[in-house]
Amino acid sequence: MKIDKGDIEKQERRKLLKTGLAVSTTVGASLAGVKSATASTPDPLITEIQDWNRYLGDGVDARPYGMPSKHEAEAVRRDVAWLTADPKASVNFTPLHKLEGIITPNGLCFERHHGGIAEIAPSEHRLMINGLVDTPLVFTMEDIARFPRENRLYFLECAANTGMEWRGAQLNGCQFTHGMVHNVMYTGVKLKHILDEAGVKASGKWLLPEGADASHMTRSIPIEKGLDDCLVVTHMNGEALRPEQGYPLRLVVPGWEGNMWVKWLRRIEVGDKPWHHREETSKYTDLLEDGTARRFTWEMDVKSVITNPSPQAPINHGRGHTVLTGIAWSGHGRIKRVDVTVDGGRNWTTARMDPHSFSKSLHRFYYDFDWDGSELFLQSRAIDEFGNVQPTKKQLREVRGVNSIYHNNSIQTWHVKQDGVTENVEIS
Amino acid sequence: MSKYLKYGMLAISLLIGFSNNAMADDEGKALFGQCRGCHAVGADAKHQFGPVLNGVMDQAFMIAGDYDYSAAFNKAGESGLSWTDETMSDFLAAPMSYIPGTKMAFPGVQNEEDRNKIIAYLRLFDTDGKRQDTASDETAALTPVVTEERKLASDFAVPEHGVFKLGRVALTEEINAWDIDVRPDGTGLPPGSGDAITGGELYDAQCASCHGDFGEGTGRWPILAGGHDTLTDDRPEKTIGSYWPYLSTVYDYVRRAMPFGNARSLSDDDVYAITAYLLYLNDEVDEDFELSSENFSDIVLPNEANFIADNRNNEGFRSISIDELCMTNCADDAAVVTQRANVLDVTPDE
Repeated sequence: MKIDKGDIEKQERRKLLKTGLAVSTTVGASLAGVKSATASTPDPLITEIQDWNRYLGDGVDARPYGMPSKHEAEAVRRDVAWLTADPKASVNFTPLHKLEGIITPNGLCFERHHGGIAEIAPSEHRLMINGLVDTPLVFTMEDIARFPRENRLYFLECAANTGMEWRGAQLNGCQFTHGMVHNVMYTGVKLKHILDEAGVKASGKWLLPEGADASHMTRSIPIEKGLDDCLVVTHMNGEALRPEQGYPLRLVVPGWEGNMWVKWLRRIEVGDKPWHHREETSKYTDLLEDGTARRFTWEMDVKSVITNPSPQAPINHGRGHTVLTGIAWSGHGRIKRVDVTVDGGRNWTTARMDPHSFSKSLHRFYYDFDWDGSELFLQSRAIDEFGNVQPTKKQLREVRGVNSIYHNNSIQTWHVKQDGVTENVEIS
Repeated sequence: MSKYLKYGMLAISLLIGFSNNAMADDEGKALFGQCRGCHAVGADAKHQFGPVLNGVMDQAFMIAGDYDYSAAFNKAGESGLSWTDETMSDFLAAPMSYIPGTKMAFPGVQNEEDRNKIIAYLRLFDTDGKRQDTASDETAALTPVVTEERKLASDFAVPEHGVFKLGRVALTEEINAWDIDVRPDGTGLPPGSGDAITGGELYDAQCASCHGDFGEGTGRWPILAGGHDTLTDDRPEKTIGSYWPYLSTVYDYVRRAMPFGNARSLSDDDVYAITAYLLYLNDEVDEDFELSSENFSDIVLPNEANFIADNRNNEGFRSISIDELCMTNCADDAAVVTQRANVLDVTPDE
């Protein structure tokens, strides 16, 4: 984008005009409670002819791969630098507060790498099936493309999502507290088809998917899950997987912790016992208060969070009609209901569910209400089709203590103050 | 000169320029992978354990002013040394003997050609981290398309195996190359052995810069040793000795993923030796202990019995049914804030 002096002058002029109108849209700015419902002077955005009304814009070839508007620069993945030692074995977070509906755009799906992003040419990628099979096989990407394929919408949540909140309210923003989740329409092959091609022996009870990246990620998965709904996928939201999401091939393990969805998938071994590798012993095990630790805690439990308002998305209008929205999901199946409270759990109202409801996918809920301008304590409570109810923080801490790191699916509280500023809090 | 000939020559010169740089890029970039655990290059590079290396060549020893160099490095810099092809190559061959006392606990790159390729790669980045070899995008468009003669579909062989008859049979050599996983019962362990003393030398050279001299961990890198009897503490220390259930996990993980940035570079015996040394750091064996495929399964880590199956379904709160959920007047008093995220102030700035 070219900016010349004239542009800057025009921008400054517009700023002045806006200031004159006292229309503040600055995020986090205090509410102009005296904002008038009627304008005293005409809005120059209406009365003046704007540049984009007059001059021609870019032609068709200016943006061969389209990017979001420059005005959406805040809708990006962000990390919390102090969490990890090195960006190549780290995580960043989906900007949930900037998203609507249930699909996460490919460029905003949070990233978690253990050895950086492997850059692999599809012509140089192989998938091997070995171990307790009749015929160990090697597939090229061209072979994978010849299997029957299907499309499925699934959420992926890191088991450590909300892990920083075990001891108390810590990070101000649903991006940081809940942003290790995304929801994508995958295109791929049933893992069962690929396993059947090699022929799993009767003694084969466990699978070990392995990544081609520098961490050679491995996890043990029971064969029942592999034959049930796992997919080996090549596409996300209609286009090829992004490199940071495992291009050209990743495993999809619906409803189970994200770490098992091995990216850059290059091998699946069939065995008779689990392997107890690093990411299922040292990590991704849940330490309880008595010193014992749960292992193989695969399913992601029922969970929800209000994405607007939230600390990064305060209420910037005065009292009156407002839209509260959020997302809910369960690794067990569909979301049946979400309850919302604005008074910290004293009274609950059942939210309006957006009709797109898929098993093991994000669900979108809304609660439209008239804000009287008083402080609010917002919470959401999700219930899935099997009657699993999202627990409170207190309930979880009572049974697990605060050192589990993983699987924190507790109810989140946002405090909306009278000026609309919103904060992550815990309440009585 | 006809304009077509001119285009042709342009294409050739671009191709030549591109291919040279592409080679430095591909091979040097791959070799630089072993440095990337501690060093970065490029526009977004930041200091890590080691300094950013943008524009490092032909400069005095210290160019990254805001990086905290070792005293030994400062001294070398004060003596007026600079990074030429020769000094960099000598340094990379054996960093710790070239500048004794450097923080760069890296054994060195043995192969001179490899060192030269790394140096060529470093030369691609100016002090701002900008690439000096940005090949014109036109190159791709001007590259002639090589069309292979297409075979008739009927000339392709169809495999015997499977349902859809896809893929091919994996060769034993291929399976052996990738199937390196190890299980607690010892399945997958390669033949070999290594002792803790040898392991200590390897560890100091290749592991200590991140994991600390005694496995205590530097910065936020994982702690590997100590932490015994801390699992019920307010701040548990989860190490190999205090937490990990199986020794096979150590062998498997070091073999597949370590050292960070140079995976699969250790021999099977190296991994036995490092695993033995990690047992020694955790007070599980004596200094002269030798670990081998023979005695591996005799070692039992102390915390194995404390791992339990997923029993989340037994948690009390799960018995609450939807009908029991309170919807109105669920508490007598109004909500009061007990804790605020703002107090900690650890949220990244916008």
